[in-house]
Amino acid sequence: MTADSVIPRQNLSAKIFHWVNIISLLLMITSGLQIYNANPVFGGRNGIPFPPIFLLGGWLAGGRHWHFAAMWLFALNLLWYGIYILVTRRWRHRFVSDKDIKALQRTQNQKRRNYAWHRITYTAIVPILLLAIFTGLGMYKPAQFHWIVDCFGSWQALRIVHFATVPLVVIYAAIHSWLSLKVGGSRLVESMFW
Amino acid sequence: MHQFPSRRRFLELSGLSSLSLLLGGCALSLVEGVVGKTFEPLNQSVESLLFNPQKLIPEFPESEIEPEALIVNTYRFTPVIDPSTFRLIIDGEVNNPLSLSIAEIQQLPHQTMTIRHVCVEGWAAIVQWGGVRLGDLVTLAQPKSDVRYVYFESADGYYESWDLASAVHPQTLLADQKNGEPLPIENGAPLRLASPIKLGYKQSKWVTRITLVNQLRRFKGYWEDQGYEWYAGL
Repeated sequence: MTADSVIPRQNLSAKIFHWVNIISLLLMITSGLQIYNANPVFGGRNGIPFPPIFLLGGWLAGGRHWHFAAMWLFALNLLWYGIYILVTRRWRHRFVSDKDIKALQRTQNQKRRNYAWHRITYTAIVPILLLAIFTGLGMYKPAQFHWIVDCFGSWQALRIVHFATVPLVVIYAAIHSWLSLKVGGSRLVESMFW
Repeated sequence: MHQFPSRRRFLELSGLSSLSLLLGGCALSLVEGVVGKTFEPLNQSVESLLFNPQKLIPEFPESEIEPEALIVNTYRFTPVIDPSTFRLIIDGEVNNPLSLSIAEIQQLPHQTMTIRHVCVEGWAAIVQWGGVRLGDLVTLAQPKSDVRYVYFESADGYYESWDLASAVHPQTLLADQKNGEPLPIENGAPLRLASPIKLGYKQSKWVTRITLVNQLRRFKGYWEDQGYEWYAGL
């Protein structure tokens, strides 16, 4: 069938990574907001808590149990995928390159420009996810990883950066979905899941 | 392919989705109890691997003390203890059980440290604590070789238990000073635990009894028995 040849297909490894990443991020964010509510980063005890619909764990201890269980799923998933894209050299053609930057500078072809933006976006989320792990490790073990807290100057700064990864991931998810639809339509989006 | 689903199909789907919502809700609360029990042993072994009993945690200059940041969290009431009649009991699996007065405790070397006090709730405060090393008191009591845990009883009924290695860490103090002043009653006078290597709920205030044991009891700590993590290392 000729129609089959134009249907985008994804490697099974990429699909598994994508699924586990979405699920583990949902667990991390909802349990993280539960922990946030025990002492809001902004305002402390007078701060505004998140409504229960966004929370996981029921109370602080439950939120922490979920957070420190899902962290393994989230971090190890990112680790094995990182090894996979290095070993298979996927990073060379599947992530943003100078070609995308040149395309944005030179071409007026809207399709090519969308594709460049799409690649920039999903490459940019990688350092944000790594930052979430780095700042999280600093808050989880501030005595053993004293230097991580020092990198951010103060405990409050570290908390703000760790929390900031939540809105960044949410904004990313919206832009990434929108750009995927623009670039490849529902067929591209579905190829990433099924 | 994209025709509107039939009424029957629609009812099937809505039935299925409400069933899955119901099952999902039940499963989630079941899983909730299991998650902590499953991952706590793994996390605890990683935490104790990260912990080096000899390594000193870097301290802060006195100028960085945040006197307003330390929030007082008390679970029941604030006990008032008469220091002149106060005795600290050290017992359990020891060759030399002790009952010490404040004056006797003050014979031991006094140490100050400026550290970050980290609360499970997420806030932290840089505090200077002064006191005697818990390790010195444990040595005085001559623990038997199979001692692995230390229990702490407080005058307000609060109770805690620690692993021995963390309890005898050189920066784990029985403090009688805060920020250069005598320890205020609401912070745990006459004696409280202070350490940079454990979360705040491990640092009992108004400590009256220290018991060295070779295994954990059914009751591990006031908050732990309600679901908080036991090791709580930083």
